[in-house]
Amino acid sequence: MSEGIRVATLDDIPEGEGIAVDRAVTGTDDDIALLRDDDGCVWALNNTCTHAEASLAEGWVEDGYVECPLHSSKFCLKNGAVQGLPATRDAVAHRVEVRDGEVYLFPHQDP
Amino acid sequence: MVASVVVVGGGIAGVSTVAALRAGGFDDELTLVDAGQFPYDRPPLSKGYLAGSAEIKDIALQPPQWYDDQRVRLVAESTVAALNADLGAVELGDGTTLCADRVVLAMGGRACRPPIPGSDDSRVHVLRSAEDADRLRTALVPGARLLIVGAGLIGAEAASTAAGLGCEVTLADPVSPPLLPAFGAEVADWLHGLHEKNGVTTVHAAAEKFSHTAVGILATFVGQAEAQGFDAVLLAVGMAPEVELAAAAGLWVDRGIVVDSGQVTSNPAVLAVGDAARGCQGGSLLRRSEHWEAAQQDGQRAAATILGCTPPTDSAPWFWTDRYDVHVEVVGALDNADQFARRGSMGEPPFSVFALHGMRVVGAVSVGDPTAVRAARRLIDRGVAVEPEQLSDSTTDLRKLVRGRSTEGMR
Repeated sequence: MSEGIRVATLDDIPEGEGIAVDRAVTGTDDDIALLRDDDGCVWALNNTCTHAEASLAEGWVEDGYVECPLHSSKFCLKNGAVQGLPATRDAVAHRVEVRDGEVYLFPHQDP
Repeated sequence: MVASVVVVGGGIAGVSTVAALRAGGFDDELTLVDAGQFPYDRPPLSKGYLAGSAEIKDIALQPPQWYDDQRVRLVAESTVAALNADLGAVELGDGTTLCADRVVLAMGGRACRPPIPGSDDSRVHVLRSAEDADRLRTALVPGARLLIVGAGLIGAEAASTAAGLGCEVTLADPVSPPLLPAFGAEVADWLHGLHEKNGVTTVHAAAEKFSHTAVGILATFVGQAEAQGFDAVLLAVGMAPEVELAAAAGLWVDRGIVVDSGQVTSNPAVLAVGDAARGCQGGSLLRRSEHWEAAQQDGQRAAATILGCTPPTDSAPWFWTDRYDVHVEVVGALDNADQFARRGSMGEPPFSVFALHGMRVVGAVSVGDPTAVRAARRLIDRGVAVEPEQLSDSTTDLRKLVRGRSTEGMR
């Protein structure tokens, strides 16, 4: 596991967008959203919003935050910290590394 | 210096005020008075909570330990009987007096009960609180004949929920289509049409009278001779702001508690937020918003005023509504545009409509297309110019468009 799971190539994730990686691949309880900020950095959070059934990978990624596509709660990309209602719980964050244009995920390791 | 704040009302406005005060560094005494067991979120009351798929604890605005963590004294199941604005004191229903340097009124409103003869009956419901939803839910058994008077957001959502529970729903509204200013003509028409497609009977008339019989309620509609029988009625014709307390305390009230841009009422020790507050800017009274996010932002502005710090940046107003598994969002305004740009096929979600003034986006409505409304919000807030054709071209990446144009605007 120390090498991480190769889950995508960087080009799969346009800046300001996200993709969901199936839990069958990550071995986690939830799918994991890979979210690429507008500065190009990639972050990983549990994909399901902590408030309602919505995919954060379909959210709006900008300035260090992802905005949920359903009720617009925002989460910090780096640590999953919830920024405001209606969500009250932080999203689970996972470690990501980009090496040679490939995205590696380390589920349950702190970013 | 402000050393104590009492917030009256635990809806989204009141809870947001408290949360923003603590987040902004307010370290002193903070009390929240709420009528319920604990503050809960109201949007689910016409959706999941009414359907029975969410319980009251599932719709709590904050987890139970939050109040202790934030050192907020929650005075639950309490109402305020009187406000003494000059002393900065509120008197609770049980006679207790709470004193504070600032009082924030966040009491929302009550559901209107229009003067329709025969409305005064336990089978004629309104929907504003969890208790209202609990009472209504007991009537929503499969096959029950439910009449909903008013096809606004609450009426439409309740119709969708009741139909999903197997009720025989009739939805009456004299306006055709309802909510046209909110959604624009095309989308308002399509959304209203969803009712019939989902087995709800729509009646294009106002309710005139209810007669109560042993077998149910006979409803008469304006312009229709024949009365129809129902097992229950829901009146969903809007809300009246809770202003009595403020008026009795001598605050300026005009169909809402009048506040300045910092949420301060005519008494500098009293602020008002949420559905009951009515803004006044440049001497003109504004329309009350009555939406969830607007109430949240009121709370954040009130907290900034109390803390003496810069209020959060204004953003175009936004709301959502859900019916028949369709998620609809609106940002800005659709009733004041000189052209519209449609993206996707009308009636086939995902689709959206942008409202423009020349090359400036002023509003948007999206159906199952959240990215469109989030893009529109940023285009409005940043005042960037776009060609309508770009918005309607489904190959245009709206995120890239926003990012590109926002950067150009900064140059």
